[in-house]
Amino acid sequence: MKRKGPILTLAAGVVLAAVLMVLNINATRSTPTAAAPTDKATTAATTAAPAPTTAAAVVPAGPPVTYAGNVVGGGATIAIAVKDSKAIAYLCDGRSAEAWLQGTAQNGALNLTGADGAGLTGTYANGVANGVVTAVGRDFSFSVGTVEPPSGLYRASANVANAEVVDGWIVLADGTQVGTQRKGATITSAPRLNLPAKTAVVDGVTINATMLDGTRL
Amino acid sequence: MAMIPDPAPAPRYAPDDPTYRPVAPQPPQAPPPPAKASPNRSAMKLIVPAVIGGLVALSLGVYGNLHEGTLVAVNIAGFSNAIRAKAWLATFAFVFALVQLVSALAMYGKLPGIHAPSWTGTLHRWSGRIAFLLAVPVAIHCLYALGFEWSSPRVIIHSLLGCFFFGFFTVKMLVLSRRGMPSWALPVFGGLVFTGLAGLWLTSSLYFFWHTGSLKF
Repeated sequence: MKRKGPILTLAAGVVLAAVLMVLNINATRSTPTAAAPTDKATTAATTAAPAPTTAAAVVPAGPPVTYAGNVVGGGATIAIAVKDSKAIAYLCDGRSAEAWLQGTAQNGALNLTGADGAGLTGTYANGVANGVVTAVGRDFSFSVGTVEPPSGLYRASANVANAEVVDGWIVLADGTQVGTQRKGATITSAPRLNLPAKTAVVDGVTINATMLDGTRL
Repeated sequence: MAMIPDPAPAPRYAPDDPTYRPVAPQPPQAPPPPAKASPNRSAMKLIVPAVIGGLVALSLGVYGNLHEGTLVAVNIAGFSNAIRAKAWLATFAFVFALVQLVSALAMYGKLPGIHAPSWTGTLHRWSGRIAFLLAVPVAIHCLYALGFEWSSPRVIIHSLLGCFFFGFFTVKMLVLSRRGMPSWALPVFGGLVFTGLAGLWLTSSLYFFWHTGSLKF
């Protein structure tokens, strides 16, 4: 005797999976991206793109410049603060993954490294930073523009209730904040950063954040 | 098809497999025929379900490897973040899988002194359906937001088990829906499904609860 129950169970699973995938694709499509979201093909495109800019590039020097935006494909946001040949980058998803990187910005080239094998290589010129960042176990390519204060990269570090708390925020041009908080070994969403006060409340304690200019964390 | 007739009505709580014998004490009679391959029942019939199951496992693995994890997916209401939601949903699925295991043992008469009541089959089928349907959103999130990962042994095992689990489950459902399957097929694939889910839970939820030291939702 053929029974339909098991096949219906499989079918229910497939339908559920399909519905969730559609929701997922919609959810990630609505995250604003700086470039067309294709998966592996874009890496080749972005590494080819910076070639023409090295000759007549306007390389920013002197005042700090912050590049910020979402990575290609969505899912994470990156900010790179550059000043006087030094750079600091922060990649985070606003929920549970983040990476801090430090390094150099010279002659239009970005080279940064961070903990756990994180690394960023790229170029910056004419108000746009392009490149690839490897962090939290995968590669992201990015092509992001500059942002003006009060948008930028912020960091707060404090000891709250006997725990080391480090918060990072990327404030985008439209005021959107993406930030994560590391307390001990746990990473969660960061609390809201109050601007222009540059404060945040962690476990009832108000802590101060500074805007990073690229020279020191 | 020649078959030793059933004794006077015994509760039909078992899956409709003609080779299965009720556990209730029976009047002495000739032992049931050994479940060897006969023209109507043979291991050859497993080939199609096994191939289909293999294709399911393979497809999941290929998708996981080709798709670049987005780090975000649609949120599940009621949980503080996606990882907590998954850890708990997977735990509930595992609890239902334990119900599966115990009810299966009861139906096959392997629990000494325990006589499976007539609703055991229904309990087994429904606990299985719930476990499977709980596992689907977890797997979708894993695949969509993270993809197939090679970064550590735990993650490699989890990625492989995830593919195998859904493959084995597909085979088990197909075996149930057809006639003439060898009698060992169901216990073997049921066991593989359970082992797969147990391994998945150990390499994800247990690891996560252990390392974050928190069981909160």
